[in-house]
Amino acid sequence: MLIIIKGGKQMNKKRLLSLLLMLLMMVSVLAGCGQKPEPAEEPGGTETPAVNPDEEVLTIRKTASLQSTDWEATTNTFDMQIMWVQVFESLYTIDEAAGGYQNQLAKEVAISEDGLTYTVTLVDATFQNGDPLKASDVVFSYKRAMENSRFNYVTSMIKSVEASDDKTVVFTLDYPYSAISHTFWSIKISSEREVTEQGDKFGTVPHTAATGPYIITEYDVASGLKLKANENYWKGVPNIKNVEYIVISDDAAAVIAFENDELEYLPDAPLSEWDSLVAASGENNSLTKGNNIRFMAINYLSPTNNNILGNLKVREAIFYAINKDNINAAAASGYGAPAYEYMPHEYVATSPSYEDGGFKIYDYDPEKAKSMLKEAGFTDAQIAEGIDVGTLMTYGAATAEKAKAAQVIQANLAEVGLKCEIYVAEAAQVTPKLYAQDYDMCIFGDSGNYDFNNIRQQVHSESTGMYVVKYADDKSPLDYKRLEELVALGVSTADTEERLGYYTELWSMVMDSATILPLYHNPVGIAWSSKLDPGGLSPTYYHIYNFKWVQ
Amino acid sequence: MAFPCLRCGDAILYKGDSIMYRYVIKRLLFLIPTILGVTLIIYAVMSITPGDPGRAMLGTSALQADVDAYNAALGYNLPFPIKYLNYVKAMVFEQDFGFSYLTKQPVFDEIWPRFLETLKLAFLGVFIAASVGIPFGIYAAVKQYSLWDTIPSLVAFFMAAFPSFVLGLLFLYYFSLKLNLLPSYGIGSFEHYIMPALAISIPPAAQNMRFTKSSMLEAIRQDYVRTARAKGAAERTVVWKHALRNALLPVVTQIGLSLGVLIAGAVVAEKIFSIPGIGSLIVDRIAYKDEPVIIAGTILISICFTLVMLLVDIIYAFIDPRIRAKYSNTKG
Repeated sequence: MLIIIKGGKQMNKKRLLSLLLMLLMMVSVLAGCGQKPEPAEEPGGTETPAVNPDEEVLTIRKTASLQSTDWEATTNTFDMQIMWVQVFESLYTIDEAAGGYQNQLAKEVAISEDGLTYTVTLVDATFQNGDPLKASDVVFSYKRAMENSRFNYVTSMIKSVEASDDKTVVFTLDYPYSAISHTFWSIKISSEREVTEQGDKFGTVPHTAATGPYIITEYDVASGLKLKANENYWKGVPNIKNVEYIVISDDAAAVIAFENDELEYLPDAPLSEWDSLVAASGENNSLTKGNNIRFMAINYLSPTNNNILGNLKVREAIFYAINKDNINAAAASGYGAPAYEYMPHEYVATSPSYEDGGFKIYDYDPEKAKSMLKEAGFTDAQIAEGIDVGTLMTYGAATAEKAKAAQVIQANLAEVGLKCEIYVAEAAQVTPKLYAQDYDMCIFGDSGNYDFNNIRQQVHSESTGMYVVKYADDKSPLDYKRLEELVALGVSTADTEERLGYYTELWSMVMDSATILPLYHNPVGIAWSSKLDPGGLSPTYYHIYNFKWVQ
Repeated sequence: MAFPCLRCGDAILYKGDSIMYRYVIKRLLFLIPTILGVTLIIYAVMSITPGDPGRAMLGTSALQADVDAYNAALGYNLPFPIKYLNYVKAMVFEQDFGFSYLTKQPVFDEIWPRFLETLKLAFLGVFIAASVGIPFGIYAAVKQYSLWDTIPSLVAFFMAAFPSFVLGLLFLYYFSLKLNLLPSYGIGSFEHYIMPALAISIPPAAQNMRFTKSSMLEAIRQDYVRTARAKGAAERTVVWKHALRNALLPVVTQIGLSLGVLIAGAVVAEKIFSIPGIGSLIVDRIAYKDEPVIIAGTILISICFTLVMLLVDIIYAFIDPRIRAKYSNTKG
């Protein structure tokens, strides 16, 4: 008996101790997780340590490793931010803040009266390898790009490109094309000698075949990239002498690295951590409207449910049911903005602005959506039961912003009596389906457009394999021949107002057809260290050449 | 050649052609059909997944005709058996794993350095997991129901359920951000490996501890242990010479398996700590359908895992003479 009682007391003690230990561990973990980050000290509140510009390294985050050091082979915006801006240059550059294009390697551009011939005089610049920039390099670069199908949409109108002397290049076009500025920005100039010498190796190793302010000194496809200032840069030596791009794919880890002063510049800052970044960076941050829009498209040719999506009223009902504010809250953490245009009019001079009232916009109106369904011939009972409109398809991770937008849309549609399923998969899997019009509804993105003529990819029948909605069809919901005529008229004149008129009519036709709906602009968050002055901020293409250290 | 019996300590002499030697060679030869099987499965899976490298590489603005031409140039549209045989031929006779669709660089040049990084991390993780888990497990078993049992068991119970990515983020937050003791990303010095190694080793250390304790308790309760105690053997001899050696077999299996899991599963730590490893490489390239890299990376991991299992089997033979005896009875 005594032994049992003694044993019982011991067991109770042990049980109590185990419980206490468990509680202690949970409390310590929860306390650590719940702790808010301490706010960063105000810039200037403490002494910024002295910076030696020759030794200091500007460390910037990359989300994935650089694909190639050949500008033609970079297919994502993050790689283009480096290769298209810091390393390579083109005849024109873009000024995102002011909108429009500016001369870069083109000193002067003369246009013939018929708009078919562009005579470009080059600046006195040198490549990073010391060779002077010559017209033959421009010809080589353009011919090389014209053989690359990726650039077909900006080079297909070029009939020939020839060097008339060392500093003059003559472009002859098949037809007048006022959007040639975008071509002059998109095609980068490389050293013919070095690219030819490197052959197949070009793009896999560091090189000096560009004219830009930064030279690639180290390139490891696994870990990152190092750049150094081009001491012979034709516009003057950059202030920032050393740049290192570090691959940090996890957003939380990137924010910690920034807060730990291991990164000085954080472009495309993760919005889910924005509050934390603002607290850490004080005034050194910016949230800008991005030139990156998400759209919803409806395939009016879809056979689903007896081609229900071929009915204009049903499509309009779908668009009126969508709450863009909810989508912004879910997909862009509330930091984005509802979109109404194909391209933001702030960045694209020829883009029709919704503020001018020149085209239809579908403001959230669930009651109107239900009335459109009744006009389409559906009864209250059918609406109450739910009308099947097929599958809403998109690409990216299941937890990423397009998938979140899809979930909101699904819920919005359910509120007005429309049922749909969601399908999310990798881009390599989904985008071929979109381009083959093998979908019912989809969410896709478009970005980096600086001339409204780029809409040609989305609406013109010659852009097979690029458009999501096929307008050139007997069952087309709009006059597609007029649509394509407007695309041609838009580039036939250089007059901005005239072009705007054509594009307003074009975009109005698209909106009336209820086939493409702009959803939201993705915001661009940028944060930087108090050691750095980034100069003017751009939402997409930052210029390290404009950065300087704070002394 | 003489090998010590780890059970009784006696030397066991073998004749000229060692049984172990034939055993190892046999297992190494078995690698070949294993690797072929792995390549076949991976190739088959990649073939049936939608998407193609042409569209992924040329981008959305490329014409379909050009995408088709790109795929044709890569041999992407060849029938599956021909594609597979071409790949195996190049791998075996030319040691050529092809070029990455994404970076155009030789696949082996891309994956080998990253594989070594992952291996470093995985071995470090296993070493920590074993050197922490096993001793605690032994002591918990020997001192069952005491504080030396209760506290480690409770901690192990808790830690075994902790995902390594949560640990990784916690370490980053405390040791990197708050205390500024360790770097938050990359490789280069020993300090860079501390947090990722701990993050991936703590859950398996907890599992090792529980497993070892369970295995030891079972061994301690055996009759031969009671007999050894009754014969007056010292407690240390009872634990280390008799109980532990018998308890080790399942523990060795567990460690071998955890090494294989860590090699494949270190991707989480690689992502959080920005370590350029093979796991994160494969995950990143799936989005681009970069088949050469995905297939070669998977093959490398499979070879490594198979070699680890072979090592486990060899260690078994050293620990347990019954296994050696089985092979000596079945030798040709």
